[in-house]
Amino acid sequence: MRSNQAYPGENKWKGWLYLLPGFVIYIGFIFYPILETVRTSFFAWNGFSAQRDWVGLENYRTVFSDAQFADAFLHNLIFILFFCILPVLLGLLLASLLTRKALPGMTFFRTVLFLPQVISMVVVGVIWRWIFNPQFGPLNILLNSVGLSSLTRAWLGDFALALPAVGSIGTWVQYGFCMILFLAGMQHISEEYYEASSLDGANAFQQFVHVTIPGLRAEIGVALVTTIIAALRVFDLVYVTTRGGPGNATLVVGFLIYRSAFQQNRIGYASAIATILMLIILGISLLIRRFQTGNEENSA
Amino acid sequence: MKRTRLTISIILVLALILGACQSIKKPAENEAPVTEVTTLVVWDQFYRDVESQVMDTLNAEFEAAHPGVKIERVVKTLDDLKVTLKLALTEANGPDVAQVNQGRSDMGAMVEAGLLLPLDAYLAKYNWGSVFSTSVASRNSFTADGKTFGQGNLYGVSPTAEVVGVYYNKTLFKKNGWQVPQTFEEFETLLAKIKESGETPISFGSLDGWNAIHEFSAIQHLLVSLDYINNLTYGVNNVSFKTDENTKAAAILQQWAKAGYFSEGYPGIGYDDSNALFKAGSGAMTITGSWLAGELVNDTDQEFGFFLMPPFEGKTALAIGGVGIPFAIRATTTKADLAAEYLNWMISPRAAELWANAGMLPAMALPEGADIKTDNLFGDTLRAWDAINKGNAVGHYIDWATPTFYDTLVAELQKLLGSISTPEDFVSAVQKDYETYLSK
Repeated sequence: MRSNQAYPGENKWKGWLYLLPGFVIYIGFIFYPILETVRTSFFAWNGFSAQRDWVGLENYRTVFSDAQFADAFLHNLIFILFFCILPVLLGLLLASLLTRKALPGMTFFRTVLFLPQVISMVVVGVIWRWIFNPQFGPLNILLNSVGLSSLTRAWLGDFALALPAVGSIGTWVQYGFCMILFLAGMQHISEEYYEASSLDGANAFQQFVHVTIPGLRAEIGVALVTTIIAALRVFDLVYVTTRGGPGNATLVVGFLIYRSAFQQNRIGYASAIATILMLIILGISLLIRRFQTGNEENSA
Repeated sequence: MKRTRLTISIILVLALILGACQSIKKPAENEAPVTEVTTLVVWDQFYRDVESQVMDTLNAEFEAAHPGVKIERVVKTLDDLKVTLKLALTEANGPDVAQVNQGRSDMGAMVEAGLLLPLDAYLAKYNWGSVFSTSVASRNSFTADGKTFGQGNLYGVSPTAEVVGVYYNKTLFKKNGWQVPQTFEEFETLLAKIKESGETPISFGSLDGWNAIHEFSAIQHLLVSLDYINNLTYGVNNVSFKTDENTKAAAILQQWAKAGYFSEGYPGIGYDDSNALFKAGSGAMTITGSWLAGELVNDTDQEFGFFLMPPFEGKTALAIGGVGIPFAIRATTTKADLAAEYLNWMISPRAAELWANAGMLPAMALPEGADIKTDNLFGDTLRAWDAINKGNAVGHYIDWATPTFYDTLVAELQKLLGSISTPEDFVSAVQKDYETYLSK
């Protein structure tokens, strides 16, 4: 058993050695690029010429006076409804339905419901672009066949509906992840709580609110953080489906970064937007973490 | 074991000797001994099947005509090329020859960074002035500081040409007795007539955005002068976008949208999807560039033709057009002369013949007696290009005008088409972008 039990003070460097590969990768591929992005945000630079001009906070000033950035960020906030709130609610509902009674074919349902999460975002975008196609897309065909022709639209090209349409694709992708997370969490909630509460006369809904949800606090926290991050940094889905159109109706911050950096050669400006986005995401994640741990301490 | 080692050592020694030869001897073309191999690295974006075969043929023939020269070809899609090329050109062993996208954010930025070789000496040496006109040359020209587009040094030569016009479904036209319109007035009458018959007059989808620019600008080109469109595109002589002509063109486009002349649900249809629908027989016409001609020939039971957007009664008209993505030379290459020889090869009569055979418009004149079929869709585009090229009526892709013009035009045109904005709002919004750029 020696290999598992090091004597106190022995070979401490060994532990660091095990950390080294991960640490090197982290520094090289995450930490350094982030620092470099922050540094670049203080320069005017086209991305390839040798000349970089120091401009201080000028890029940041431009971002905050850029009406497009405000629009784009508002769209990201609306996406939180579609990428985070709806999937979490849907995930809770499905998870509790799937655990209440053992039905035949449960694994099948679980797999099918989780499937959207596994498909690459680009493929998802292409599939939905086709579903939403006004001429040969299944959605309009379905609406026509059930006599709801008045509801058919050019979904992705409609100024009012393009944003909800792209957002609902986000819901479709994210709910599976929430569901699996909650399913796993529910395994840890002791049956005793349910037995005790039903003896006290609680119905299924009351059990869900007072037993299931508190028991899933940690999982809900994780789901909130990851899905909010997904809502704020979305790029691929918008790039494949609408490219920010019609007009700027579906423009999001991620797409604005891409446009500035790779279409307009404004790397410094793009870096400034990216830095701001990173700080916002970091802030929101910390807030949720704090709220969550605070709750845990209170209940303990 | 010993034997393998021996073989490996021999190979290594040979490789070293070869390598040494290459670095000691300067690559002087034509007189190079056959044993020595000079490699020319070429990046192009002719990735589609037919195009790629043309390039392979041209490269093989170039190697055969230049003993000791090997072409190392790297093929990329245009998007891929645009993202990677800028950094590759800063490398000492980057591509010697590469296709460089026209316009300010690509060629202009690279010229500014000193990455491209000015070709004026070779222009004189190979007499390229007789191969392409000055109007064509200015599309590949910048001042040495990369700031002024359309004048100064030549930085690239284009093998192919493009013209934007109207494709029409001959099968549908014949069935309904419709005629190819000769004037814009006739064109609009025809649109109304087609709409009445229940067919879609213009197959179009604006979801991808960029083709909406062609839709607008094709009408714009009927109204403006060549000087105006040159000034606007090259950003000289302080012209404005807010003109009566541009407002009128925007109003016509918006009216078409309101009248239902475009495909049903067009704001939610992508470019490729709208073309697939058109090819399958849905829609009488579509407004796009000559690059689509090859697509419309195979795998369809419909027959298609092409005509230039007809001029207003009693007026002459320009058409959107230009030359394809040009080949340029890396400023720091050690094989500049050989690279220029390669460029000359790319715009030779032989190249023109190969491109025409592949259904692509060559930018160069076809050689006498070339065996090319022209009683077809390709012939239609060839004649259209010939007409505007000879008539000095080749307009521009207006999205070259400023680095943000493309994004602004796409967003504003979608608003215009959706009647979110008026033609006046449209020209004002675009003018704002243009002013911001000029004032920098």
